Amino acid sequence: MATTTATITLSSADLLSDNLSLSATMNMYQHNTTATGLDEMRYHRLVIPTGTQFDLIQDSTALSEDASYVYIVNKNTDVTDYVKISINAEEIGRLYAGDWLFMPWDNDLTDEASVTDQTGNDSSIEIEAFTHEHIIEFALFHNGETLQTSADS
Amino acid sequence: MPTTTATITLATSDMADNSFSVSNTSTLYNAGNDTGISETTGLGRKKVASASNVVLLDGGLTSGIAADVTADKSAKVYIKNHNLRGDGSKFVNILLAAVEIGRLYGGDWMFIPWCAASGKDIEFTASDATETTLEYTCFYE
Repeated sequence: MATTTATITLSSADLLSDNLSLSATMNMYQHNTTATGLDEMRYHRLVIPTGTQFDLIQDSTALSEDASYVYIVNKNTDVTDYVKISINAEEIGRLYAGDWLFMPWDNDLTDEASVTDQTGNDSSIEIEAFTHEHIIEFALFHNGETLQTSADS
Repeated sequence: MPTTTATITLATSDMADNSFSVSNTSTLYNAGNDTGISETTGLGRKKVASASNVVLLDGGLTSGIAADVTADKSAKVYIKNHNLRGDGSKFVNILLAAVEIGRLYGGDWMFIPWCAASGKDIEFTASDATETTLEYTCFYE
């Protein structure tokens, strides 16, 4: 199984009276395993227009009750630009230009495993752009995926 | 104003045919401008031996040390589960209000922006009642 690491470093020389430097590294492992790494991922880059909340990462049954991790970065450069990141109608927070997030994602609620499902009481990770259209990159590290049967098979 | 940075590196050498690595550094600014965030809750450490829901960061407070962490601003939260991973069956559910975001297993960390409006607490629920230790901090304007 794959070995994938995520490292964070938080630092500041002048926020406090002494240097702030915090670093942590984690391995992305599958649920219920001692050290079996996640072995699936997606990496996307896309443009988000303003005015509509979209499902950025669609829920699916295969992603439920397991270990998944999400990385999102806002590639815009205008400091007034931001996107709202939400889950199940709860706003997590705003990613301003240059900001990134990394978080676990459980996909706790799944109402429909469909790539066209953009509504409902689900755990899809939602995004809405404000001020200008946004260039967003995101990664999903996961274990399993609900594949859609081809409509013209 | 202070300059505080958050750097992430995601890396794997064997998930795909070629190595994958992405790295980004974000400077923590106030909302909508390039003034550095100047306040922090400081680094906290919380131990809980319970499987009940616990409020880690209380959104929308009107008094106390975190009272200025309010909605529509630029708050950033770091949380790490300091427990050992063990067999990978134990974790803490991280919730925003009543909505589950995801699971932090032993050794896992997360870094997110936080809409700290009233009722938008960051909470956690351990998967069992054995002792869980979380480390956390919040940077805010």
